[in-house]
Amino acid sequence: MTTTYTEQVACVPRAGTLYDVIEIILDRGMVIDIFARVSLVGIEILKVDVRIVIASVDTYLRFAEACNRLDLETDTRSKTVPELFGGGAVTRAVGKKAAGKAVRSVGDKVRRAVGARDGDEDVEPKAEEEGLEEEQPLEEEPRPRRRSATRTRGSRPRTARRAEED
Amino acid sequence: MTARDLYVYGIVRAGHGLPPGSLGVGSPPAPVRGLPAGRLVAVVSDVPEGLRARRRDLMAHQGLLTSLAAHGAVVPMRFGTVCGGEDVLVERLAATEAHHLTCLDRVDGRVEMNLKVLPAQEDGLADLLREDPHVRRLRDEARRRPGYEANLRLGEAVTAGLERRAREAAAHLLRELSALADGTAAGPEVAGCVLNTSFLVGGSGHDRFTAAVSRLAAGHRGRVELKLTGPMPCYSFVGPEHAPVGA
Repeated sequence: MTTTYTEQVACVPRAGTLYDVIEIILDRGMVIDIFARVSLVGIEILKVDVRIVIASVDTYLRFAEACNRLDLETDTRSKTVPELFGGGAVTRAVGKKAAGKAVRSVGDKVRRAVGARDGDEDVEPKAEEEGLEEEQPLEEEPRPRRRSATRTRGSRPRTARRAEED
Repeated sequence: MTARDLYVYGIVRAGHGLPPGSLGVGSPPAPVRGLPAGRLVAVVSDVPEGLRARRRDLMAHQGLLTSLAAHGAVVPMRFGTVCGGEDVLVERLAATEAHHLTCLDRVDGRVEMNLKVLPAQEDGLADLLREDPHVRRLRDEARRRPGYEANLRLGEAVTAGLERRAREAAAHLLRELSALADGTAAGPEVAGCVLNTSFLVGGSGHDRFTAAVSRLAAGHRGRVELKLTGPMPCYSFVGPEHAPVGA
């Protein structure tokens, strides 16, 4: 169970998710010298891909935009970044589309690397599964601007990853 | 005894009840059994064909260990650990029994709580602008002469500033929370996190720990976003770094 504490002391239990501890399950735990680990190659590659950094340029520009709109003379605390980012429907749609694209390319990379066949449900989700599952895709960054469930609006667009930032 | 490969989930003390009907990795899930080895029992199953780090199998591994841990101390194996047959496993466990018993003692009645600290975004932005003249200057420049380059420089400075503020807060969090834990273990580096640390927490102290995280989250609002995961099996406190020299 994972609890996320964001701008409020928000408790968002997400039972059954592996996503926040996948690096621990793959990287920690008892090892015994003579034991083998299955699919070591696939797992190691996956670990690397789990850590692919979110698009920094994209993030930079969004921050800049938010900063430019921020007026320190007024009470900025009453605004949230999604609002500053103009988190309207269009932005959301674009963000989601871009995120899906990034996921697909990363997923393909892993799938190629581990020689997965179509129909295999490897740890990286297929892009088309996005939003269908109750839990976050495992290979997604821990970071991407997840909002707490206490928010009534699902506001912020998911951050897209860009291969060119790697 | 066969030479068939075994998937090893974890090691428990002899007498640790295996939840009836426990299922493991694979599709359909492999039945899980206990393999006695002296004062220990290895919790194992057959190795399914083509096992990889699938979501389903990771969940199965984690789920089984979680239910085992609910009934007593368990040394969780890293995901994907396979051993070449019962004889090999029993022999190996006999040779390392003392070490495993020590590990079991260490995690007995304790849980792992994993804390990830990420830079805050929401309130952090306004606070950063107020306190960081460099960011403010870049912001003013970007306003005077808007453009891609100016925005990029500003965004980069903001990102760095938010991360710096988060790192400062994380150091404080680590000090405070370490005092409530029986052990700490740095987790693997995770992109976007300024801190990824696991805490070994006594089962009874687990609520207190969670409450402390909640209090600290409020205290560092605008600097960090926290993700607390647990209780879970003590993966981070049984690894090779905890092995006695020469074991």
